[in-house]
Amino acid sequence: MAITRRSVLNGLAAGAGAASFGMPGILRSAIAQGGSTLKVGMVLPVTGPGADAGRFALNGAKLALEAVNKAGGVLGKPMELVTEDDQTTNPGAVLAFSKLASQPDIVAFLGSIRSTQNHAMAPDILKTAKPVLFGGTDPVLTHMGNPWLFRFRPNDSYSARVIADYGVNSLGKKKWAVIHSTDAFGTSGAKALNDALAASGASTAIDQGYSNQSQDFTPVVLAIKQSGAEVIGSYFTFENDLGIFARQLRQLGVTVPWVGSPSITNVTALKLAGPSLYGTYGVADYAEDSSEASKSFGTAYRNAYKVAPDNQSSWTFDAVTVLALAINKAGKTDPEAIRQAILSVKGHKGAEGEYNFDQNGDGLHGYNIVQNDKGNITFSKRVDFKD
Amino acid sequence: MDLFLQLLFTGIGIGAVYALVALGFVLIFRATNVVNFAQGEFSMVAAFLMVVFAVDLEWPYWLSFLLALGGMALLGIIFNLGVYYPLRHRTYLPVIISTIGASILLANTTLALYGPQPQVLQGWFETQGIQLGPVFLDSQYLLIIAVTAVLVGFQYWFFEHTLIGKKLQATSQDKEMASLLGIPVAGMIMITFVYSAVLGGIAGILVAPILFVSIQMGSAIALKAFAATIIGGFGDVAGAIIGGLALGVIETFGAAYISVPYKDGFAFLVLVIFLVLRPQGLFGERIAEKA
Repeated sequence: MAITRRSVLNGLAAGAGAASFGMPGILRSAIAQGGSTLKVGMVLPVTGPGADAGRFALNGAKLALEAVNKAGGVLGKPMELVTEDDQTTNPGAVLAFSKLASQPDIVAFLGSIRSTQNHAMAPDILKTAKPVLFGGTDPVLTHMGNPWLFRFRPNDSYSARVIADYGVNSLGKKKWAVIHSTDAFGTSGAKALNDALAASGASTAIDQGYSNQSQDFTPVVLAIKQSGAEVIGSYFTFENDLGIFARQLRQLGVTVPWVGSPSITNVTALKLAGPSLYGTYGVADYAEDSSEASKSFGTAYRNAYKVAPDNQSSWTFDAVTVLALAINKAGKTDPEAIRQAILSVKGHKGAEGEYNFDQNGDGLHGYNIVQNDKGNITFSKRVDFKD
Repeated sequence: MDLFLQLLFTGIGIGAVYALVALGFVLIFRATNVVNFAQGEFSMVAAFLMVVFAVDLEWPYWLSFLLALGGMALLGIIFNLGVYYPLRHRTYLPVIISTIGASILLANTTLALYGPQPQVLQGWFETQGIQLGPVFLDSQYLLIIAVTAVLVGFQYWFFEHTLIGKKLQATSQDKEMASLLGIPVAGMIMITFVYSAVLGGIAGILVAPILFVSIQMGSAIALKAFAATIIGGFGDVAGAIIGGLALGVIETFGAAYISVPYKDGFAFLVLVIFLVLRPQGLFGERIAEKA
């Protein structure tokens, strides 16, 4: 390898990085601010079943990054994304985060949209003690005493309440089939939905989990049929599972209404399942027609990437935007100062909705109800909660 | 009873896919004594080729199918020359590692060329299926079962009643002896790789309208097909078919009557039971003969 000025500088930087583990926080922070760009780490799936979602996530983050840098950057420097592939696995996510965390000049991170991966990274996040902005919706993530986690999507305690409210009060259905993945996201979502149904006076006729990447849902569909459920509430993690389930559901003659978690409205799910999802309802953290900010994000995304955005890209867009605002407000890259600045964000109108951070690190407190009208997602109403 | 029949049909349909991929495992194992861990990726590559020809280029379905299989034959040749041939005089271990490497290479090359978004491939038939009394027969599953039956018949005829089939059998049983008898061993192994790649390709194209076309589709099927091969008896064609069908039916019934989340668990529980009680599988005699 040829020795160039850049490689020598990189070597020195790496040495400084290694040495900085033993330095006081203030010195580390000074080194971090010394670079020509302000670096933000991003853990995202580039390979594995979530790779497609990862592309949307990166597109959303890049769109925000472009806007931030056009507006003068952060603390007078351009913001830069440093990405690592989580391989759509928990060990992959832990490895990706530790690679990023070992770079002392990274001031904050974007975590995963998958709750299970955020759980896997959580102990390292606590040790790293820098803000991690994530999209997973398991309510537990912001209630387990980890002060560095900030959620940029509404958590599932809200989605479950909105699903239950819509099914019970708007559709008038009392007997439910709850279908969910057995991962952290699906299990916590189903638990929240069962609780919300009980609170609304409805009953769960069948609560059926499935493992991710199932190739066949015939037993699940037949169980729904036998249960006599009037409506389906679902928490699917992967779009291909949702697509297979949707097709088999219709093939086997189940036509009851279906209110799903946000994955039912994803661009990929709509493409894979096609007509099988027509007429279904979904709770969506991102709905293009729900606000002016959502509309302008939708327009910018379409112009940049020639496809419609979904929640995979809207949360990263908001996360990068809010992070830039928070660091500028803090006036420094000290992790605690950034943390306090994020927590103080109130009334920020993002693509996903209005951000009002609570002390747990939850930024959003409501969902949109949307319907699949022959493949087009149409906005129905927004439900926000005070708690 | 309705439930039972519906589950049985689906179980056989899924099992037939496992059986097709398992056949590819068995053929290569018989010819080379190694497990080809890239067998699942053959299915994935063929499905993507089909998407390129039939969806992107909008060529007729039958032409796309033939071209995709032609592509798989070519891949079989390249695979043989690049992955197996240079290591043919080594023990089985380097070859197995080489096939694992090839599987990662194929998956990531496809990812780099085509991107991560799963694709939709329409089935052969316009209609989704037939309602036969209380049972819905998915047209694609019907096709899979029919093609598997035809291929099993073809395979029997090819190996038992053609000269080249007998040469292939001789090669798989004793390469040195076959060589002494004037059989071109390297050529026979090449044919085996081509046939296995095409077989895996057919499985991939047939299952694509059901599972969608994604980078992971191959590995998901291959894992079950591998289990089916062990249950049936490594190296036995009939064993692979019966193992595949049995696995499909067991996991479907297990999911319906015991627990859905443990569906994969049932398949692998059967595998563990076989490994402990009958490691040679249902039809393990051929291995004993070879040993």
